[in-house]
Amino acid sequence: MYPILILLVVLLIYGVAYVFYGKKLLERRVVKADPKRLTPAYEKFDGVDYVPANKYVLYGHHFASIAGAGPIVGPAVALVWGWFLPLVWVLFGNVFIGAVHDYTSIMASVRHGGVSIMTVSENVMGRRARYIFLAYVWFALILVLAAFISVASATFVDVPTAATLSIIYMPLALLFGILVYKLGLDVRKATVVSLILVVAGIAYSFYAPVHLTYEGWVVVLTLYSILAAALPVWYLLQPRDYLNAYLLWSFVILAVVAPLLIPVLRFTGPAIIGFVAKGGAIGAPAGTPAAGLDIAWFWPTVPLTIACGALSGFHSVVGSGTTSKQLSSELDALLVGYGGMLTEGAVSSLAVILPAALVWDFAVVARDAGLTADLLLRAGLNITATPNILRVVPAAARFYVAYGFAQGLAWSRLFGVELFPQLFIGFRTFAAWALTAFILTTLDTANRLARFAWIEMFDWLKPRSPSLYRVVANRWVASVLAAVIGAIMAYPTIPGVGRAYLVVWPAFAGTNQLLAALALLTSTLWVYAVLKVRGAASLLMMIPALFLWLTVTLALLIWLAFIVPNLPPIYIGTGIIVGIAVALDILLIYLFVKGLRSARAL
Amino acid sequence: MKTREFIGLVITIAAIALLIYELFYVNLTRGSIGVRGTISSDSVLVSAGFLLILVGPWLWFGEVPVAVKKFIEAKTGRKL
Repeated sequence: MYPILILLVVLLIYGVAYVFYGKKLLERRVVKADPKRLTPAYEKFDGVDYVPANKYVLYGHHFASIAGAGPIVGPAVALVWGWFLPLVWVLFGNVFIGAVHDYTSIMASVRHGGVSIMTVSENVMGRRARYIFLAYVWFALILVLAAFISVASATFVDVPTAATLSIIYMPLALLFGILVYKLGLDVRKATVVSLILVVAGIAYSFYAPVHLTYEGWVVVLTLYSILAAALPVWYLLQPRDYLNAYLLWSFVILAVVAPLLIPVLRFTGPAIIGFVAKGGAIGAPAGTPAAGLDIAWFWPTVPLTIACGALSGFHSVVGSGTTSKQLSSELDALLVGYGGMLTEGAVSSLAVILPAALVWDFAVVARDAGLTADLLLRAGLNITATPNILRVVPAAARFYVAYGFAQGLAWSRLFGVELFPQLFIGFRTFAAWALTAFILTTLDTANRLARFAWIEMFDWLKPRSPSLYRVVANRWVASVLAAVIGAIMAYPTIPGVGRAYLVVWPAFAGTNQLLAALALLTSTLWVYAVLKVRGAASLLMMIPALFLWLTVTLALLIWLAFIVPNLPPIYIGTGIIVGIAVALDILLIYLFVKGLRSARAL
Repeated sequence: MKTREFIGLVITIAAIALLIYELFYVNLTRGSIGVRGTISSDSVLVSAGFLLILVGPWLWFGEVPVAVKKFIEAKTGRKL
């Protein structure tokens, strides 16, 4: 199989899906987006959270926020099934579930004044569902904060130039925000000015490593996430994510260009290794007895392995959190929501799976490309000790190597094969930067979303005790609370486990995808009950929503039956969370069915 | 200039000075900022610059840009 063929197929599927499924079906027939209807960004403008944004700026913010480590690490792990099955799941999940889920979450929120999808659920599933949903999401976001503070800190220690680039980005992002909003400069001109400075910053970062300890970075990033959550969105979050998105888009564009430069090279990896990954156990902590079980069936466990690249519950929280409050026109939502998800799918399919499939067997690809053993050694690749991509661990390193190798091959065709070692090392570093950028842009949005969920959770307090509500809902209080709890979980080390949050982190994959199923069910019910959409258009949402619910429920039950009993006692928190998730899953499907019956009776 | 704006201006200048000093003086003379595995004065200073640059302009320029406010007022017809 030639990479260029896969590239064309992927781009064709995304193009057709965007036009026919996204624009013609969802935007025109289901949601009936109306550019004349004022969005919450105007109606509830407050200069802090509700601020209308340029379509492309918001697309950048949304894409950078939804794309965390998931679209990269997930597919890199899923290579244990071969390259074809993960690719199929990414494409199918993207088009029929993930992009629909993201787009309808944004639109449901926009039509309800910019509140979260959790609060929208009250209208279709009742008040009880809403508070269960909000509490569930708030805890999940704290776990995200803990994980991303920890991962970003560890990456800054390992790749100190990534820290430099993040530091340089800050004043440039602020400059962009001030140029556009304060000085009224056209977005295109401000973008050009800022990007010239960004490129200079990227070049300089290579030669300016910033060293700090893991604990030091945890403190700095916690303070950063508090500021990012509480400061006005136009001032920091929006411009920072927008400018960062250019780095991420460059990363995807390079992945698209690479197969065009090496059209004669073929994939060296197996399309399918098997439907059961031997010795894998869907996210069970490495080295525990649970990790030795052969129960990693492709279905139904794939959504727990590949999250953001295909679909993720976190996206509904972003879409109905920061994004819906900044949408200028209902017509912008398709590019931002549906397009943002397809772009993230392109990260997984084109920047992770495709390069891995190409360079899978290092000896074969080196022979085909005319790379000598000396060139490989100069690049730091010992193909005797590490003969194929699956032997590169952890999954993040697998991605760095695959991306760096594929780019090195492509550009050494143009600049000479003797430059392969330098190109490989340069692009491997660039891949690490991209991953850090994805993580950091998600980290800063996550705390803001935790603040929104917290405030919505306490709205019942407002009429009863307005003064207490003002304290509880204060944006600084809400931002500090979530970030500090997250930091406490990211800071200490537990012997035999690692950072404290890892004790419950294995449960996150399941709970996040359960959230996706619930958010899609909520949107589906909203379309059915509120928008009164019936027939094929309604079924096109209902069937994927129920399929996702069934898949995630089965995956959670597998966890509960096989993995939880085999986990060491220290992971009791993981077991409890999975148990609670299954109980919530069943309660919320009951509320969904009840809501559906009520809607039918009307 | 209000007190808040003045404080913001001072913090912004301090933050820019810290970043320029660390990125362009310390790095160019020593080849890196800070020492691997330790919390050095340089790493503290560059971190301070990183955080202060977020706070300074916000205090200096205020929360809601006037241009945006006017635009919203024109579009919605309500006084902010």
